[in-house]
Amino acid sequence: MAIPVPEFIPLSEIPRQLSAALNRRDLIRAGLLAAAASALGPSFSLGQAVESGLTPAARGEDGAAFLTDPDWKPAFLNDHQNETLIVLSDVVIPATDTPGAKAALVNRYLDLLVSVQPSEFQQEFVAALKSIDTGSQAEFGKDFRDLAHEDQIWLLTAWAYPERSSHWTERNDPHTKPADLAQQHFHRLKALIAAAYYGSEIGQKELGWDGEITHGPYQGCEHQGPAHK
Amino acid sequence: MAQDPLQQTYDAIVVGSGATGGWAAKRLSEAGLKVALLEAGRAVTAREFTEHMPSFQLKYRNHSPEVMRTRPIQRQCYACMEYNYEWFVNDLENPYSTPADRPFTWQRLRVLGGRSLVWGRQSYRLSDVDFKAASRDGYDVDWPFSYTDLLPFYDIVENYVGISGAAEKNEMLPDGQFLPAMKMSCGEMRLRDSVQKNFGRTLTIGRTAIVTQPHNGRAPCHYCGPCERGCMTYSYFSSPFTTVKDALKTGNCTLITDAIVSHVDMNTSSNKAQGVTFVHRTTRETKQVRAKTVVLCAQALESTRILLNSATPDYATGLGNSSGLLGHYLMDHVVGGGASGTFEDLKTPPSANPPHRPNGVYLVRFRNTPKEGKHPHLLRGYGFQGGSMPEFNMDAQGIGADYKKAVKVGTYGVSLGAFGESLARFDNFCEIDTNLKDAWGIPALRISMAHGKNEADLMRDAGVTAAEMLEAAGAKNISLTTGTEMPGMAIHEVGTARMGNDPKKSVLNAFCQSHDVSNLLVTDGSGFVSSACQNPTLTMMAITVRACDQLINRFKRNEV
Repeated sequence: MAIPVPEFIPLSEIPRQLSAALNRRDLIRAGLLAAAASALGPSFSLGQAVESGLTPAARGEDGAAFLTDPDWKPAFLNDHQNETLIVLSDVVIPATDTPGAKAALVNRYLDLLVSVQPSEFQQEFVAALKSIDTGSQAEFGKDFRDLAHEDQIWLLTAWAYPERSSHWTERNDPHTKPADLAQQHFHRLKALIAAAYYGSEIGQKELGWDGEITHGPYQGCEHQGPAHK
Repeated sequence: MAQDPLQQTYDAIVVGSGATGGWAAKRLSEAGLKVALLEAGRAVTAREFTEHMPSFQLKYRNHSPEVMRTRPIQRQCYACMEYNYEWFVNDLENPYSTPADRPFTWQRLRVLGGRSLVWGRQSYRLSDVDFKAASRDGYDVDWPFSYTDLLPFYDIVENYVGISGAAEKNEMLPDGQFLPAMKMSCGEMRLRDSVQKNFGRTLTIGRTAIVTQPHNGRAPCHYCGPCERGCMTYSYFSSPFTTVKDALKTGNCTLITDAIVSHVDMNTSSNKAQGVTFVHRTTRETKQVRAKTVVLCAQALESTRILLNSATPDYATGLGNSSGLLGHYLMDHVVGGGASGTFEDLKTPPSANPPHRPNGVYLVRFRNTPKEGKHPHLLRGYGFQGGSMPEFNMDAQGIGADYKKAVKVGTYGVSLGAFGESLARFDNFCEIDTNLKDAWGIPALRISMAHGKNEADLMRDAGVTAAEMLEAAGAKNISLTTGTEMPGMAIHEVGTARMGNDPKKSVLNAFCQSHDVSNLLVTDGSGFVSSACQNPTLTMMAITVRACDQLINRFKRNEV
């Protein structure tokens, strides 16, 4: 495959179908471990595997536990920013027949993410949140989180459908980007919210994930002749 | 009690346990030679594989500050993630330098198995169009052997490794010993048919080192997707669970982990290598291992660094460097050209529960082929890797319930990305940076490489031809890229101890043996004479087996 340079969470990293049945997974792993250890012979011992250099993931830690900590406090956002983000994320991705961004704790993940980014990223994020309020104040004289729900939708809808130029344009062509600064801020926030939502377990289930690890083997195209659909 | 592994004299020391080192250890120990296999990192077991862990269980969902802090260079590799970053070197402990205007990204692992744990697994043979490229176009020199010489070793490697793929009878990309091919999607079938009909070009399913049926005790791929995080069924080829395992099973191979080799030790009176010196990774003690032969498989730049750091009064500019070419002719495939688009009339929606095929499609080189003849201004050529699958569309317009719906409707994407030949040039090179040492006190490399005009022209051409092919296949929303990425991004670095028949114009002979020091071999990518445009690992492994068989014969004839 070509070498993608991830700029933000790439689509390929939005978690793949994976097992909710962790117990089963652990059982499989334990069995394989014993097989691996014996296959590798006396030069290996399981002790070597844990001596050092394992990532938290490789140690099997569930890094998502902080999200549901009853004593959770923002690491980066102030209360106003946090509340604005909760309201904004839930207007962009509301509960429908599945839970929305608020239930997926999009704000908590993004707070953590932004807290460990370079200051330039942090400043952009804060500026983007502020820009939502600036737009809201200009239209309605109130901050975004205090608007009526239909006014929140009205405001965001104006930004949410950018004009598209010709598709015969080079990637990263400036003409394909929304020209308006507020719109750019909104799209940056929307992309982060979408990545945080669809990267969550709730978001995966919204996409239809059944909680299983594998669904193989890949069957490919089964059409006869050139009639692909 | 077992003997102290450092008090013996081995027949061979193999430095590095990756794709090539694993093969060297296996081949030599199975022939009865006593082998010490040295690995700079620690052992790895299936316990630490994370391929089945959802990314929502990662605290930072792959944006860990620890990765940003300790792997600022390694994280440029798509495979270096919050899951597995400890397999990659810590950039703070493993520095190298470059000229300010010639950036190079050097992505490497120091654990048992090396980069074979996370490699892209694409496995293609070179052909005589590559081995004899200079005879065809006059640029640089031919390899010191032909396809026929390497063919039996390609067969050996493929039969053992397990390469799934399809035969195509295309002279640019010789067919091999294939396990059943993985299937193509509708979009890929359409693209394949179109490029054949409209351009006479060959698109085939990726030839990948993943077994699709039980093979040498390994279970077939279960299509979970992210091989670079390990595989509990060992379905993709990585050395710890195959070649290294076989080597240890012989009883003739001693594995020494955490051994960071600093240099080769010479017996100056006999002009023979007598072993290596290493620094223990955790204790920092300096130790020696003795052997009748030394086989470097540390990866092109690392093996070259070891030789440069092994200078003696007789070899003042680096061991085995009487030609003055050691470190020069560094190559890495040029990447960056390509195109992507969508098939709007293909309506298969994306699925959150698909089998994840860890493989794409490959479009065989069509520039400067015997069939198409000489291109007016381009030298050599490029192949494309790509794919076409329905994808969720997080970039959908709108907000609210409409947006959630549009995400699930998705798009049927199609893309092609080129890997182009990197021409061998003397002025792309590495040397020792006399002001820089790694955390173990070993002098570090200064790497000086830039892609040239031909590489840039290849990528510009690749962007345009990719867009033309996507358009002819009916794709819409086509966008193209025509630039070149920084050298190192292809992670196919080769060429710094080139092979050849003339000791004045090459570092190694046709069997990867130093012209200067007869019991010193380098069998990783260092010996490549040209980069071709195919992924190099399969060829590195075949060259290693060929070199080892030659070495075994020399042992049998008492020539070592």
